[in-house]
Amino acid sequence: MIAATGPEAWTIVVLAAPVVGSLAALTVGDALSEPIARAASLLTWIAASVLLALGAHQVWGSYFGVDPVSDLFLFLVASVYAMSTWYSRGYLAHVTAPFLTPRRYYALLGAFAFAMLLALSVTDLGLMWVGVEATTVASALLIVLERRPASVEAAWRYTLIASAGLTIALFALIFLYRATGTLDAFALAARPVAASLPVAIAVALALVGYGTKIGLFPMHTWLPDAHSQAPSPVSAMFSGVLLPTALYAFLRIYAVVARPVPAALSDLVILFGLATAVGAALLLQRQRSYKRLFAYSSMEVMGIAVVGIGVGGIALYGALVLVVAHAFAKSAAFYCSGNVLRRTGTARIDEVRDLRRRLPWTAGTWVLSATAVTGAPPFGTFVGELLILSGALLAGADWVAAVLAGAVILAFLGVNGQIGGMVFGSEAKGTAREPDPVAELGIPWMGLAVCLAMGLVAVPFLAPAIRAAALALGGAL
Amino acid sequence: MTDATTTIEGLTGLGLLLTALYLQSESFLDPMVNGIAVQSALLAALLGWLAYIDRSGELAVVAALVLLLRVVVIPYLLRAQIRAFRWRAREMRASQRVTGHALLAVVVAIVAWFLFQETLAPALPPLPGIALPFVLLAEGLLMLATRSNTLVQVIGYLEEENAVVYAGVLYVVAFPFLIEAVVFLDVLGVVLVSIILSIQRDVIGVPEEEVLEELTG
Repeated sequence: MIAATGPEAWTIVVLAAPVVGSLAALTVGDALSEPIARAASLLTWIAASVLLALGAHQVWGSYFGVDPVSDLFLFLVASVYAMSTWYSRGYLAHVTAPFLTPRRYYALLGAFAFAMLLALSVTDLGLMWVGVEATTVASALLIVLERRPASVEAAWRYTLIASAGLTIALFALIFLYRATGTLDAFALAARPVAASLPVAIAVALALVGYGTKIGLFPMHTWLPDAHSQAPSPVSAMFSGVLLPTALYAFLRIYAVVARPVPAALSDLVILFGLATAVGAALLLQRQRSYKRLFAYSSMEVMGIAVVGIGVGGIALYGALVLVVAHAFAKSAAFYCSGNVLRRTGTARIDEVRDLRRRLPWTAGTWVLSATAVTGAPPFGTFVGELLILSGALLAGADWVAAVLAGAVILAFLGVNGQIGGMVFGSEAKGTAREPDPVAELGIPWMGLAVCLAMGLVAVPFLAPAIRAAALALGGAL
Repeated sequence: MTDATTTIEGLTGLGLLLTALYLQSESFLDPMVNGIAVQSALLAALLGWLAYIDRSGELAVVAALVLLLRVVVIPYLLRAQIRAFRWRAREMRASQRVTGHALLAVVVAIVAWFLFQETLAPALPPLPGIALPFVLLAEGLLMLATRSNTLVQVIGYLEEENAVVYAGVLYVVAFPFLIEAVVFLDVLGVVLVSIILSIQRDVIGVPEEEVLEELTG
């Protein structure tokens, strides 16, 4: 039955469910908007899971299509979208005088997911750009939910910097179109072109343009602001899937270049990735806000993934493993951050202490999430980072592996040291004990479980899908 | 491509550059909105001319979209904001150093031109004004980076988007129509969201200390 229904139908469900859910949420009123949004996100997840299980590879019309790479990223976006939607209830309950009513919040959340899903299910690089740019339009107002001056400022910076960066990505498309006469990503991937000067310029401009949205150094400045000021379910979507969606758009342009990629071009990609990983690892050492801490951690992971793409081969496979595992783990970390924020009323690291007594279950989940996002064994993130380091060593890029290993260790110490301080540090003056929201830990645990399973076993459907995506992008296993 | 078309493309580029420099030297919002509307009108006229020469219906629609969205709708929205919040009518910080801004804009234009010649030019045909989209992009980025008034920053963003349209015309003549059309709608979305955020910024206020405290590091 499921197999008989083609990928086209399932993709339509993936795209239509969040749109219909958003429109319905807007029209039915605040009380019903939440169950409608939950149902829509669940339906999106089911359809995306079917596409992943089918290993769908099909093009229809001039602009739409899916392949193993898009199947994987669609599943990722749908998963985090569903988790964030289901987690939102408890979080919204504590927001006083929100900028958005619940129905508008859920409608924008659906629109945000739709923009990402659109970018992932089109074959045309121009429409892909439109999808990535539309994520800014849909998500900017979500950042302002709590109506604080800093959140408005963060949303403003995000809108301007991300949009300005994406303009450069549009320049990249103009160069690519001039060089190849088409913007069909699937056709170009099937017949990659030599890295002529216009194509190389297109890739370099795409790296800078989409790199702004990926959070690559030095175009990353919007990222810690937006991630830290957004409500936690939205922060999870930013870190878990928005950055990977922009990475996907860059991957599609990078895949246009015939293998082996000229050293000058791959070195440029590696350099940006290394600068980002090292820069973020240094910046996260002395953060005042735990949400900014996790934002810099996301930036570090994206830097490592970009290095994996630049190195290619097994490192590219590692980059995909890392991005998938990180999405689940980082979502869990942000959901736990939301619980901590609600119970302590502060995002400042120095004002949160003794969580192991005050919120033992949340604290435990938070510690595990923090170790997971920093690539500790036995989580999937560890496997991804290990593959990238191995790939760099196999490619003879010892110095890349050494610098990357340094960044990974530094980030591990920085994140876990500061989270450890909040969980195990002595109790601060005047802080009361609050009930631990144990019932709300189900969603973070789901994310953690997937990340853990990825490190321990070959997860059914997911592991083969990652392998297929890596092969489609020219990554050797 | 005819000599007349090449000349018109070059002259349009010159007009776009002059309006960009004019925008950099202004601190009053009304003339700046007029300036970006004129810049967009020049672009629409060029697209209209190319549509006429090539007998291209798609280019004609793109020209009409530029005219409708960037000459009429977006300037209207920006003017409505200026009318609603009169204190936005002049950027006070910039007004104290417009000469400096203008000089900086000229320096940035020259640097961008040289940078273009050294990096991107070899990949493109040697047409007059071929560097201008890149220079225009740099001017838009400069406006985003150096101005504090939110509406002025929106104008900087629009200038960048005009640079992309001009680049599309010069470098590939006709970018796929559907893409052009949807990009215009996306830009309109960004402008609308920017305006909402801009209002919130004024309504909620931006106490420097709190923002600095939370958005540093």
